[in-house]
Amino acid sequence: MSMPLESKSLKKIYRNKGRKTVAINDFTFYVKEKGVFSLLGRNGSGKTTFVKVSTTQLTPDEGYVRIFGKDVVGDEKELRHMISLVPQESRPFPHMTPYEHVYLFQKMNGNNREGSKDRADTVIDLLGMKEFSKTECVNLSGGQKQLTMVAMALSLDVQMYFLDEPTIGLDIITRKGVWNAINRYKNAGKSILLTTHYLDEAAFLSDEIGIVSYGNFIKQGNLDQLRSTLEYDTRIAIRGSHEGLDLEQFGKVHSDNKGSVLFTNQENVEKILSNSTIRKERIEIGPIGLDDVFISLVGEDIEVDEN
Amino acid sequence: MIREISRAIASLTMINGTIPLWRRPISLIAVISTPFSFLFFIYLFGGPSKILLGAIGGVLFTIVNASTMLQTDLLFYKLDLKFQQIVASTPVNPLVYTFGLATGNIVFTLPGLAIFMLIIVYESHIGVLQILSVIGTLMVTWVIFSLFSFLVSTRVREMRDIWPISVMFSIIFGVVPPIYYSISVLPTTIQYVAYLVPTTWAAILLKGIITKNFTGMAIPAVVFVLEMMGIMVFTAKFSNWRLNRS
Repeated sequence: MSMPLESKSLKKIYRNKGRKTVAINDFTFYVKEKGVFSLLGRNGSGKTTFVKVSTTQLTPDEGYVRIFGKDVVGDEKELRHMISLVPQESRPFPHMTPYEHVYLFQKMNGNNREGSKDRADTVIDLLGMKEFSKTECVNLSGGQKQLTMVAMALSLDVQMYFLDEPTIGLDIITRKGVWNAINRYKNAGKSILLTTHYLDEAAFLSDEIGIVSYGNFIKQGNLDQLRSTLEYDTRIAIRGSHEGLDLEQFGKVHSDNKGSVLFTNQENVEKILSNSTIRKERIEIGPIGLDDVFISLVGEDIEVDEN
Repeated sequence: MIREISRAIASLTMINGTIPLWRRPISLIAVISTPFSFLFFIYLFGGPSKILLGAIGGVLFTIVNASTMLQTDLLFYKLDLKFQQIVASTPVNPLVYTFGLATGNIVFTLPGLAIFMLIIVYESHIGVLQILSVIGTLMVTWVIFSLFSFLVSTRVREMRDIWPISVMFSIIFGVVPPIYYSISVLPTTIQYVAYLVPTTWAAILLKGIITKNFTGMAIPAVVFVLEMMGIMVFTAKFSNWRLNRS
């Protein structure tokens, strides 16, 4: 049985009027098990380009992507029967209802009338969309519209779903609605590749996370594996200056315009807190999280310049 | 296979035609107002004897206008809704996509076309064979301009660019060619340019069929079909169904 996804030495360059932009420099990673794999990275890190290559929209300049053993270039016709996509910032037709979206998308993909109807009913029910399924999309909230797009994609009975930032711009409650939908599909044994720059989303949904930055694939693993890449177990965020105190002696320091974050071990906490300089500042202490792993691997906070 | 293709075309027709027309019937006015305005002015200034010419022009202009306006829909679905991306990652091919949406566009023109055809039949007393020939000519026109619209929509990258482009093409293909008049009234140089536009050949064919003047119709028919084949090859070669050239 082939693995859900293999990406080897993938490179993609955009060319526009003689100007070249390297969108993906080197993505080499393997998704060996079914479930949710999240690509986590800031805007411009190559996540969406990767989805476009994987869904046969773009051809790579170098390397390959295979989905369940099918190459995105050589086996593209076969592959299109195996995948489904929610593109980034996609929107539903304003004049149609969510039910019509799912039903007609089914028919468009060759299902008959009864089959399309059954599938639409099932998906609408599964995603908890019954209440607004017969309302024109122009009258729906942003979250309901997004859920419509997800429902369309998930309605296809395929092997791999590509969801490109499916919750971008949604409030936390609506995001959780989309998460539940994704979780249901994951539990049903489907494979989902999700791109996101929301750390909580990646942490909550993913079986494995791949961290990407500036067109390079940096690291992959489950949450515990990623946490263990940091040799520390504790983070101390110091908001303010700490002049005169050499934090480096206690661990790894990351500074930004809000202050510093020290990655250290629990045994150092007491020593650090007893320092008089530190005691004047506002500090937060907690276990290492995915955001810390991201900072440590990429060297930048994922939220910087987000808007 | 054929069943799957017809299902895909039917669903795209519903998306772009039946459902929006059902929910927003006022959109009908946008499609048929211009050809009916022309007909009105032709009747006003040319009298009842010119109404047949106005109806022939109307039926052709309606098809050309609707097919040209398809550019805007296609681009909106591609850039704003990202629908083309979704479809392009499924087994549905670009020809099915284009003709599904183009059929949807034709749904809006049906009431207008029916009225123009009634006028034509009433005024010219044409038979079934001629009616079928008229429909055939209109279908080739529809194929040519739908493919052209698809080609344009895949090359344009900004929504705001398509509005002037589609108006420009609507004028070039729907107003400049001798739809409402005889090509002989144009200066010779302009005539050569007009012969490059498929609408000119469609107009010559329609006028010949409806006035039952079949002499010299073979050349326009052959050129018209060749133009359709040319646009098919051109669209296959130069359109960007996926994003590979971006």
